[in-house]
Amino acid sequence: MNTDIVLRFGLAVVIIAAGLSAYWLFNQRLLGRAQGRVFGLVDTLPNKPMIVYFTTPDCVPCKTIQRPALSTLLSLTGDGVQVFEIDATQRPDLAKEWGVMSVPTTFLLDARGEARYVNNGVTRVEKLMEQLQSLSDFEI
Amino acid sequence: MTSQTLQKVDHSVLKTNQIIIIVLNILAFVLNLPVIAVFVALMMGLGSALKFPGFGFVYKFILKPRGWMKPDVLDDNPEPHRFAQFVGFLFMAGGSVALYLGSAILGWALVWIVIALAALNAFGGFCVGCAMYYWLGKLKVPGFNKQAPAGTFPGAKPRAGASV
Repeated sequence: MNTDIVLRFGLAVVIIAAGLSAYWLFNQRLLGRAQGRVFGLVDTLPNKPMIVYFTTPDCVPCKTIQRPALSTLLSLTGDGVQVFEIDATQRPDLAKEWGVMSVPTTFLLDARGEARYVNNGVTRVEKLMEQLQSLSDFEI
Repeated sequence: MTSQTLQKVDHSVLKTNQIIIIVLNILAFVLNLPVIAVFVALMMGLGSALKFPGFGFVYKFILKPRGWMKPDVLDDNPEPHRFAQFVGFLFMAGGSVALYLGSAILGWALVWIVIALAALNAFGGFCVGCAMYYWLGKLKVPGFNKQAPAGTFPGAKPRAGASV
């Protein structure tokens, strides 16, 4: 009985891992799609990491969690990162180009403008900071 | 795209429903208890009949009043979500029948399909059943007369503020 449960639990873990891998591949595809898109947003790179943040005016989690998290991140990093906010209702073309299917979605770009991380859904400040710190060109 | 009237749809209740479906189905699989899968099927069937997410009462009576989950109200069509739940119910019912007829592989495969689709909806914001609904609408199938909110890919979670 217990062996059976352990085996089935293991199988469930394998299936979930396969699902997560598929999700990872999807995110990699989104990142690939985002490469070079930054030049459609800014003429010159700010020479520091950028967060491209897709939101909408009525998105409740954006207001209550994501925007405060980004504000906290900005205060923690000083001028170490630039946040570029895009209202997906005003710029549906950009949302489509970047492959954004829900809000909030945040893309983290390094100083060269290469998309390094994509976060679908609300992302806490701790995770954003962790992602920022993994960039070699990030300085506080 | 023709004009249509969207309704306020609280996506938090949908998400709660999906997460409970995922958890119970995984529990059913790990413990090898098809009765849990039957219970999920029944709740989804009941929800389809009552036009409300099967486990929506957990959000309505527990999570929301205690502030543990905040409403995420968007302009959307409720019909595709009801259809998606009904499709899920069919898969769960088929899976449950297969399990009780001794076809474990088919039964659990159907249950895992429901888990995968619910997870895609809950964590990825994409509702496959809703996409099916909109595709059937495009094929002019009677009863499927709603269109995806403007600027929203059929099946994707609407961007808040999407126009009618």
